[in-house]
Amino acid sequence: MSSHRLFRFPKPAWINSANTRTAGVYLAGALFSLGFYTMIDLSVWSKSRLNYTDPSIHVTFIDWIPSICSALGMLVINSIDKSRLSADSFSYSGNGVAWKARLVLFLGFALLAGGLAGSVTVLVLKYVTRDVMFPALWMGVGNVVANAMVMLSSAVLWVAQNMEDEYTYNLAL
Amino acid sequence: MAGLKTIISLSFVLAIGFLLVILSAALFKNYLTLLVVATYVVAPLPNWICGRAANPDDFMESSGSGVIDFGRFLTGFFVVMGIALPALLYHSGDITAAAMTMSVVGGLLIYGTIITFTLFFQEEQEF
Repeated sequence: MSSHRLFRFPKPAWINSANTRTAGVYLAGALFSLGFYTMIDLSVWSKSRLNYTDPSIHVTFIDWIPSICSALGMLVINSIDKSRLSADSFSYSGNGVAWKARLVLFLGFALLAGGLAGSVTVLVLKYVTRDVMFPALWMGVGNVVANAMVMLSSAVLWVAQNMEDEYTYNLAL
Repeated sequence: MAGLKTIISLSFVLAIGFLLVILSAALFKNYLTLLVVATYVVAPLPNWICGRAANPDDFMESSGSGVIDFGRFLTGFFVVMGIALPALLYHSGDITAAAMTMSVVGGLLIYGTIITFTLFFQEEQEF
């Protein structure tokens, strides 16, 4: 096992432990929460008395569309059973399961990336081109931050769920 | 393990946590920060419910851990929510910085007490 290593440094032992996996899932929840409350924060700020923009700019439904896309993409990606991705080589898994899984996964990643790109679009078109200055510019920047957080969260959740296979037997026996 | 001293000190910390949160609400006549208490009381619930829902004996079924993972995800969500909510209210000018600090510290004390308490109880049930 160790003679097949490619890199000079060994993989640390904690990477495949159950505790790391659990911490990863908690971290994913925390990151998603940060993204979600960033979004809530900027819409609350938009209606508060601190928002002094003269031709008044408020958060509307348009600002929420990227976040909705990101959240849907995260839901799609993480509701797929990861072991189905390489399932076509086994005989018991029916035909074309891996193909369908990859298609749905592609849709999920497209939604996630589309959410991030959409938030940048909203930032540029709605705030930067109208020369909004910083306290109010947060309504656009926070949108990008929120979508990036959701993306990071689903990446962490993905990695944490893929750690599962190695130690499942230790847990069961 | 969980002796009398532990229980007494835990309840002491819990009381301090509640004191801080209630003070942060009552001092400024703005009761929005009480939401933090609700958040931290709800936070351990998903873990507990999903732990019951998943069947740990059934080790042929590998998808059972999905439910547990969902519970952990929700717990992480609620814990950050307890910090994010006062920060959000402070940022939009609804509460002052002092109220934000007090409610965050108080909420963390309450949640720490709940977690420590469940840890002690679990250890007693195992044996």
